[in-house]
Amino acid sequence: MRFSVCINQVPDVSAPSQVRDGQLILDAGRVVLDAYAASAVEAALVLQEAHGGDVEVVLIGAQKASETIRKALAMGADSGVHLLVSEDAALDSRSVTALLADHYRASSPDVILAGKQSQDTDAGLVGGMLAEALGRPYVTNAVGLVQEGDGLVVTRQGDKGQEIIGLPTPCVVTCSNDMNDPRIPKLKNIMASKKKPVETREVSPSAPSLRTVAYEMPPAREPGQTVPGEPAEAAHELVRLLQDEARAL
Amino acid sequence: MPTILTTIPVSDGQPSRTALEALTRARQLATEHGWTCAAVALAPDASVVSDTLGRYGAQTVYAVSDATFAEPLNAPVVDALETVIREAGPEIVVFPSSEGVKDALGALAERLNAPALPDVASFSMSDSTVEAVRPVMAAKFRARVQAETSSDSPVLVSVRAGSYAAEESPVTPEVIDVALATDASSLRQTLRDVVRSAGGAVDLSEAQVVVAAGRGVRDEAGKALVEELADVTGAAIGASRAVVELGLFPATAQIGQTGKVVAPDLYFAVGISGAIQHVAGMTGSRTIVAINKDADAPIFDVATYGIVGDLHQVLPPLIEAIRDAKA
Ligand SMILES: Cc1cc2nc3c(=O)[nH]c(=O)nc-3n(C[C@H](O)[C@H](O)[C@H](O)COP(=O)(O)OP(=O)(O)OC[C@H]3O[C@@H](n4cnc5c(N)ncnc54)[C@H](O)[C@@H]3O)c2cc1C
Ligand SMILES: Nc1ncnc2c1ncn2[C@@H]1O[C@H](COP(=O)(O)O)[C@@H](O)[C@H]1O
Repeated sequence: MRFSVCINQVPDVSAPSQVRDGQLILDAGRVVLDAYAASAVEAALVLQEAHGGDVEVVLIGAQKASETIRKALAMGADSGVHLLVSEDAALDSRSVTALLADHYRASSPDVILAGKQSQDTDAGLVGGMLAEALGRPYVTNAVGLVQEGDGLVVTRQGDKGQEIIGLPTPCVVTCSNDMNDPRIPKLKNIMASKKKPVETREVSPSAPSLRTVAYEMPPAREPGQTVPGEPAEAAHELVRLLQDEARAL
Repeated sequence: MPTILTTIPVSDGQPSRTALEALTRARQLATEHGWTCAAVALAPDASVVSDTLGRYGAQTVYAVSDATFAEPLNAPVVDALETVIREAGPEIVVFPSSEGVKDALGALAERLNAPALPDVASFSMSDSTVEAVRPVMAAKFRARVQAETSSDSPVLVSVRAGSYAAEESPVTPEVIDVALATDASSLRQTLRDVVRSAGGAVDLSEAQVVVAAGRGVRDEAGKALVEELADVTGAAIGASRAVVELGLFPATAQIGQTGKVVAPDLYFAVGISGAIQHVAGMTGSRTIVAINKDADAPIFDVATYGIVGDLHQVLPPLIEAIRDAKA
């Protein structure tokens, strides 16, 4: 099967960052391959190893994001497509979807994989939007993926349990990071990735449908207290506080 | 009159509490702006919830009854909502942010060419602008985001659990039955099975008290203590990703960025370090109790009350003290 994985570069949420005058400031400017997209790459590689096929990765981003394509190639993807946008391009799920849909109308892979949401925005829209734009059936929030004949069997994490869904190709699946642990590329794979083909095309995204007015800090929680003493003592004091102070019991 | 429409997922014949929270917010905005508050229920028999929806202020209830809604597949949900939205012509469509809703929202937004504000912590409207506050960067920050309503498409907004309190405001709703246009045989996906999680006695998203276990809980003995604490407090059981990975708790119990968002009255974090991705799913809790043997664990930064100690030593006397207090 021909797999194509939508990948994105996101700010590293664990690196120092702050909000100043309504702007989000990433102190070290550290960026990474999105964790959910990384699980989607891993999922494609696992199926390719078992059944053969081809794995392409597609990324929309500025020049700097090409390092994220290299990362996915080092993990094992065969080729990359970089839909290049300017440094100051404002993207949202809608404009990302439109560009991806244009790409896929031409190439039409059997299976398109994406992250269930982006690690920085948690939007979680691209997979469903893209499926609808291409007229493909889809499953979101996959935690398991098995190839069966020409189709897939997807285990999705639902509200009350796991839903096991048969899906024909061509289709779209969005992946949870609970599905797998993305492999860490070895040095020799990193070297080999430099020879893999990456096609770069300049594109201009449509105007986003949402406007971010400002970033702000979440509401601060009241400072807490440590309940001292030996376990039994602390437990009794905690119950008293929960009853008399917090009125939570 | 302009309309604000709330989508009500129904399970086991009941709207979820998060659906009633979303409906309450919609009703408040409708009252404030003189709009119509409408709701759409999708269920095998959607009429069973119309009284409840009226009690929470829905003046019009679009009832889409079809056997396919017993199964969690996205295509019929998207079709049904498209039909109702075209009929009702709302300015805003509000959703509770459940996994079922997340599954349908992107496709629906694309089909309607509608802007979508997913997973918001709050939202308001003025003139034609809908403004929402969304947690971003694993909830380290929040973004204030705006979308415009227009004559040809509504703005879609999904609301995180616990963002608003559900409040009654009774009216007698007009019930409009709408037929589902999807032909079940045309569905390209097939549901093979639903493996329901064993889960605790209390549903996480409905719970007033949550006892959440982390990797520190480690084994069956620790799990038994967590279950006992949940039992004496009438709590639902939650879990961190690490302890779900260990296989001790089901993935439906996972709380955090990948898992569920909860905002109970009281949250016990037992043997949880407090990684931002976990905290992202529970900082809305009113009172947070952390029990951790590491005094430097970041969970203590968000805790109302902390006990530094080994859970095997702290939980038994705590369970006993709560039992005594309740007796
Ligand atoms: C994109 C992404 C999404 C994620 N989504 C989620 C999510 O939805 N939910 C989630 O939980 N995590 C999520 N994570 C993972 C998260 O980063 C942490 O790895 C995870 O929350 C750690 O779980 P933990 O606190 O149980 O384990 P640990 O971090 O290992 O902490 C265990 C704690 O238990 C304490 N402890 C050990 N033994 C005892 C004892 N006997 N008594 C008392 N205390 C003890 C230790 O001091 C320690 O603080 C996500 C990560 C990423 C990258
Ligand atoms: N700039 C991008 N380029 C390619 N794929 C993207 C991009 N942004 C998002 N995606 C994909 O869409 C998924 C979900 O994004 P979102 O719906 O915006 O949260 C990500 O995990 C990626 O798989």
